[in-house]
Amino acid sequence: MRLSLGSKFALTVLVILAVTMAANMLYFFRASAQLQEQQLVERGSALGRLVALVSPEAMLGFDYLLLNDYTREVALRPDVVYAVIVTAEGAPISSSVAGSGSPLKERVGTARGEGILKALESVRDDPDLIGLEFPITHNGSLIGRFLVGLSRESVRGELRAQLLIQALIVTAIVAFLGAAIYAVFRVNVLSPVRRLIAASREVARGEYPVVEVKSSDEFGLLARAFNAMAAEVKEEQAKLHRQANYDALTGLPNRMMAFDRITQEIRRAGRTGGRFAVYFIDLDNFKSINDSLGHAAGDELLVALGKRLQEALRGSDTVARLGGDEFLVLAPDITDELQVKGIAERLLAAISEPLQIAGRRVVAQCSIGIALFPDSADTVEALMVNADEAMYQAKTQSHGSAIFFTEEMSARMRERMRLEEDLEQAIPRGQLELHFQPMVHAGSEAHHGAEVLLRWRHPERGYVAPALFVPVAEASGDIVRIGDWVLEEACRAWAGWRAQGIDPGVIAVNVSRVQFRKRLSTRVAELLAAHGVPPERLELEITESVLLDDHPEVADELARLRALKVRLSLDDFGTGYSSLSYLKRFRFDVLKIDRSFIAGLPESADDVSVVNAIFAMAHGLDLRVVAEGVERRSQLEFIRSRRCEFAQGWLFSKALDAAAYEAYLLGTNAGVRSARLAKEASA
Amino acid sequence: MRSTLFVMLLALVSSVHAADQTLTLGVFPRFSASETTKRYSPLAEHLSKRLGRPINVSTSRDFQSFWRNLGENGYDIVQYNQYHYIRSAKSYQVIAHNKEFGKSTIAGVLYVRKDSGITDLKQLKGARVLFGGGEDAMIGYIAPMYMLLQAGLTKRDFQSHFAVTPMNSVIGVYHRQAEAAGSGDAVIDQPAIRNAINPDELVPLAVSEQLLHLPWAVRRTMPAGLRDAVQAALVDLENSESGREVLKAALLSGIGKAQDRDYDPARKMVRAVLAAH
Repeated sequence: MRLSLGSKFALTVLVILAVTMAANMLYFFRASAQLQEQQLVERGSALGRLVALVSPEAMLGFDYLLLNDYTREVALRPDVVYAVIVTAEGAPISSSVAGSGSPLKERVGTARGEGILKALESVRDDPDLIGLEFPITHNGSLIGRFLVGLSRESVRGELRAQLLIQALIVTAIVAFLGAAIYAVFRVNVLSPVRRLIAASREVARGEYPVVEVKSSDEFGLLARAFNAMAAEVKEEQAKLHRQANYDALTGLPNRMMAFDRITQEIRRAGRTGGRFAVYFIDLDNFKSINDSLGHAAGDELLVALGKRLQEALRGSDTVARLGGDEFLVLAPDITDELQVKGIAERLLAAISEPLQIAGRRVVAQCSIGIALFPDSADTVEALMVNADEAMYQAKTQSHGSAIFFTEEMSARMRERMRLEEDLEQAIPRGQLELHFQPMVHAGSEAHHGAEVLLRWRHPERGYVAPALFVPVAEASGDIVRIGDWVLEEACRAWAGWRAQGIDPGVIAVNVSRVQFRKRLSTRVAELLAAHGVPPERLELEITESVLLDDHPEVADELARLRALKVRLSLDDFGTGYSSLSYLKRFRFDVLKIDRSFIAGLPESADDVSVVNAIFAMAHGLDLRVVAEGVERRSQLEFIRSRRCEFAQGWLFSKALDAAAYEAYLLGTNAGVRSARLAKEASA
Repeated sequence: MRSTLFVMLLALVSSVHAADQTLTLGVFPRFSASETTKRYSPLAEHLSKRLGRPINVSTSRDFQSFWRNLGENGYDIVQYNQYHYIRSAKSYQVIAHNKEFGKSTIAGVLYVRKDSGITDLKQLKGARVLFGGGEDAMIGYIAPMYMLLQAGLTKRDFQSHFAVTPMNSVIGVYHRQAEAAGSGDAVIDQPAIRNAINPDELVPLAVSEQLLHLPWAVRRTMPAGLRDAVQAALVDLENSESGREVLKAALLSGIGKAQDRDYDPARKMVRAVLAAH
């Protein structure tokens, strides 16, 4: 049972009052009992002394009738149970017993003569009896004793009556005091507390009332403190609301607020049958601006562009920053697609207008994806996804374009989702397999190893190109599981061939940036140990995109992999940012020149220049180089002339499945294998 | 002649004086003075009306003062015990006796406890005997002492103690304060005794011959007419409603005529006891 404060207080007061009053009553009751008993004893003593005083003459004169008169008179007193005169030897010579009127008197009964002593003996220990004894003397000699038995019964009866009256009085006092104290408590404590409780509930509902301060006591102070707290909470709440709903950098609504606004707009448009547009805006090459001008300049750019976007729109439109370089615009009350396009053009124009950032002229561009309600979707999530998809399509086109989400995109998305679902089942269904692209020493064309390639044999689609499913796997996160499977299968294959006495050389496995974030080094160490693969025989091919992530973490993970002594290869060099600072900062063993540069050799002067520069840089950094996509002998000759260490491509072999690669290893490279095995055996 | 006339005149004067004189009714201190006054005042008033003379009830604090007044002829009419009468018979003439509890006589009794094992007077040798009243108590002392003497015991053979009244002597034996009590035969039936003790625990050891109850006497100098009038008035009490009320107040059931020889049995006991002293 939950008691209110008032009930607890009232109960406590009542208990305290009741205990105090009861203790007080008990004290006075005991005192009264003692006093009454004392008075009783004094009355008995007075009678006893009187009888003892007058009895000697009657005793000496054998005047028993007179003695009987004495004892009878004494026994007639209300509280006297018996009055007995005994001789000095203890023989009773006169006795009177008030034989009725109380249980004690009835126990003594009407005994007389010698029987009286037995009767007295039977009640001697009775708690209601007070036995008094008075010596009867004559000329200093004891001639007898006067025994008086007093009963506490009437005293107790009187006390009980008193107790009852006092209990009634105490109850009345307790009730009165309790009610009075409770009334005072209610006015001075409960009412302020209830006002504060009501105010607290209003605060909980998000309202911030001001509690009236009526007194200067502790409750007044509490009310003031409450008001101050409510004001502070209100301010904090506003701050939290701002933080939760607005972007700290630009002051624009954030993703959450954007979702909320779209949700509200969906409701409104649903009611009115209206349309609205969602624009997903992503800046092009923002990273390069950030990298080249610094983060502060990047932030300054974002703030400026946010303002421009706002300025370019109507008051009813919403501009939000979703994060990074992504913005969202919600344009309600759309009438037709021309109007939507017009807004998109205004947005593109606002973004592309030159800016002065960090003292430099910057021209930003963006890609815009547009989704319409209810044409392309009718939920927040779908609108966002569709606009995002359209934006990605815009990214694939020329910079600074805006694209509507279309049915074709929708179909492509559905296709991607199906692919994602199928890919999830690809490993358990054994649809993934490893192929091996042999690598040779560029000079001798002797076998060096192979790059492991992943193939997905789809039951309906046939082989699905990695370029198609790897991005899907990366987007869904499935790449971690798949990449792990590839690593393990590659190690298992290497160990299998090695167990057959075949030297598979080096196996180069591509590693995704997503895998890299999941403590790849730990897993690599486990697999090397599990399959007995020497670390220098495993080469991990990493694209430049991995290095775009947080540098300290990447550096640490690369350092751990290097500590394992596995070889690190920078893949597809030249196709991405090809930042020379990466090569300086991160230590690699191998650099792989992308096939797109090899394809134009030796005829394309541009490709020759680029490849020459790469070779010069690589050798300068003590990196060995692998040329990808070598298909012609002239290409081989060219790279040989540039002291390229390794090559791969159709000139040597196309990618082989495991069985074919095993045959390749046994046939074409037996000499090398035998020599290497012999060398290892002697070591 | 002159002397005869003087005597006649003196007699006349005395007679006239006597007719005007208030009579004094003396009552021995059987009860307290106030009790005596309370009980005998109605009787005095009754007699006064019958005799046409005022009568005062004279009480005594104790037997000594009563005896002194008696010796000084201080009472015209007197109610006392047999011993008193026997001792004062030269000055007083018995005219009536009490009837108490419907009886004109009373006997002296020696009571013992039933559980005392005493069945013979001789067993009282060396015992404590508690007599009811003093040595002039006829029923409480003289009659029981007479029986003891008759049994061959002397006063030295037992310890004599004296209770205030015969009833007290009986109560004393009941409470084992003595082995035998000298008392009267009617005492044991008194309500006061029955209230105080259980009489069934007592038994009479010896009972004397019946003696005429307490005597009423008048001064021997009282004129015969007045004496007879007093006697008639007393004896006549039980014959009227008002007289019975008077008797009831005095705790009497009646008053009968008596003459001196009626007290000879008592006189015999008194002589024997006094001789033994």
